[in-house]
Amino acid sequence: MAIAGSDQRSENADVLIIGAGASGSVAAKHLSDNGFKVVCLDQGPWVDNKEFAGARPEWELMAQKRWHPNPNVRDLENDYPVDVSESDVNPLMYNAVGGSTILWAAHWQRFMPSDFRVKTLDGVADDWPFTYEELEPFYEQAEEEMGVSGLAGDPAFPPTKPLPTPPLPIGKIGMKAAEGMNKLGWHWWPGPNAMPSKPYRGRNACVRRGTCLTGCPEGAKASMDLVYWPTSIKNGAKMITGARVKEILVNDKGLATGAVYIDRAGRERTQKAGIVIVCANGIGTPRLLLLSTSKRFPNGLANSTGLVGKRLMMHPYAAVAGVFDEPLESWLGPAGQTIQSMQFYETDKSRGFVRGAKWQVMPSGGPLGLRAAYGGRALEEAWGVNLHRNTKRVFGHAFEWGIIAEDLPEESNRVVLDPTLTDSDGIPAPKLIYKNSENTRKLIDFHLARAQEAMKAAGAVSMTTTPLMRDCGWHLMGTARMGEDPGTSVVDPYGKAHDVPNLFVYDGSNFVTSSGFNPTGTICAIALRCVKHLIANRRDQEIAA
Amino acid sequence: MSTALQDDDRKTFAGIADVLIPAAEGMPAASEIGIQGEILDKVLGFRPDLRENLLRGLRAAKGKDPRTAAETLNKTDGPAFGAISLAASAGYYMDPKVRKLIGYPGQENRPYNPDETPEYVRNGMLKVVSDRGPIYKPTPK
Repeated sequence: MAIAGSDQRSENADVLIIGAGASGSVAAKHLSDNGFKVVCLDQGPWVDNKEFAGARPEWELMAQKRWHPNPNVRDLENDYPVDVSESDVNPLMYNAVGGSTILWAAHWQRFMPSDFRVKTLDGVADDWPFTYEELEPFYEQAEEEMGVSGLAGDPAFPPTKPLPTPPLPIGKIGMKAAEGMNKLGWHWWPGPNAMPSKPYRGRNACVRRGTCLTGCPEGAKASMDLVYWPTSIKNGAKMITGARVKEILVNDKGLATGAVYIDRAGRERTQKAGIVIVCANGIGTPRLLLLSTSKRFPNGLANSTGLVGKRLMMHPYAAVAGVFDEPLESWLGPAGQTIQSMQFYETDKSRGFVRGAKWQVMPSGGPLGLRAAYGGRALEEAWGVNLHRNTKRVFGHAFEWGIIAEDLPEESNRVVLDPTLTDSDGIPAPKLIYKNSENTRKLIDFHLARAQEAMKAAGAVSMTTTPLMRDCGWHLMGTARMGEDPGTSVVDPYGKAHDVPNLFVYDGSNFVTSSGFNPTGTICAIALRCVKHLIANRRDQEIAA
Repeated sequence: MSTALQDDDRKTFAGIADVLIPAAEGMPAASEIGIQGEILDKVLGFRPDLRENLLRGLRAAKGKDPRTAAETLNKTDGPAFGAISLAASAGYYMDPKVRKLIGYPGQENRPYNPDETPEYVRNGMLKVVSDRGPIYKPTPK
């Protein structure tokens, strides 16, 4: 266990934040800016940028283990296992200060206005308790804090102010993809990325190394340990690393009073606080709430509806990779996204399904193949003379159109506590039960067919199609949904648990629907909206004595 | 089972590695760049998790025809074949000579001018997208 700042672990905090990923980091910074005494517990360590292998020859070798986004593959001490035996998709995350932003691709997306009104527009799922317009100022502030690069004016969204830094180069792969889209008359736009194209508030400019998914050696990418924590620590916030939380405590009034955690020496410790904010991601948060049973809350904390853990959404991901005759330097970043398309994002019921998907072009990595999900071919096909032929044909000559499919919330897709599997501290591990729906399957089939047309229009000489990548569960959402009605939601529109008035959930668990976009921009904007409301209403906020 | 690499292990590894990565198409065979020596040590240094599966596969393949051994492992012991093939290919593509031959500079720092007007703006490619107008559905009233 390591503590940044003075040791206040035995003191009461004003606010205890559990999890130092995207939402917890936003909350800690703004609370500490406003004089709150903040303590944050994270089961992982601080990560030094020098650990990242992106600039070294062993990069791809390390990407398949040490920096793999699947915790079951990575299997570090700070990871917990996840039972995926009944899931179509593996969840991806990183456990450290910064959370999954350590390894994220930093695709910075807003949701579209329709994403907040799917019930009204499409008759499915539920509307959100606020609109795009209500969230818009928080998107704008989050973009400024994160140092997003990109080009305003994308006709897929309402008009926005210019982003803080100019767009990153889209490279030969982006140009090639864009040429294909223009031939078809389809939408594309240079992709916004949470990586500045110029030095920004103590961070370096992106250098296009293209290793974002295994950590940014340059200190350019907006990972939360770099964006928010230096200021939070300076403000007096305390970060306790190596702290694996096993239970949120409650008093006889039904208020949260803090949490019990196990440090890396195996000692059980208690951190008391007046307010508790859970920010442990769409799997870690319901796991912890379900673990926190008591006489008053026998089914887990904030779970009077039985919805904690249900409505899990993970964004099934499909892709079409195209190979081109001409060299495209397709190892170059950002990775990150070069261009994106929302041509088929909005619902068109004539397609036989509702909602849609965002597409993005990403580079294809080094010669070893960045993504193990593409492997598994026969000996004679993958090796021998064909290894050399394939490398010459494909390496540096390929890119993919990736497709993020919106999956709708279903109570059957859920996180539960595993009856036998535990983490290294003996705490029950989460188990995922997650199946793609008929709507999702039709959606993916349609989009793959269109992406093949886009690749063909761009001039691809060959293509491979991945209908569902198993290692794609980056986006963990919906397992403690927000809403106005305490009978049908876990938290209110500001993240406050309906059942426990000083317990909050700020991470992607609180999403009502998933959209077809990378969610971190929206997680940050919602966390910002929630924490600013908490700060503004601090005098009326009930706290544990 | 000894977890240290023996000379026989290296010899078996070189044989299988040459089946997987032969001299062809202007590229050297794996053993020509010394895959079984320092390169293998380096790979296992970075990825100690590969050692157990790799050694099991190599010792099962000892003395056998390398092609037959590779095919058998691929069919009957996926983890062992995976460890051997990953060690061979990762070591091969980490080698500077090999990288030069395939035109890969590694994940490089590529300078650019962020204030330069992008080509897709200068040549009007993006304007045709803008000119088609908004494609989103506004929030319903």
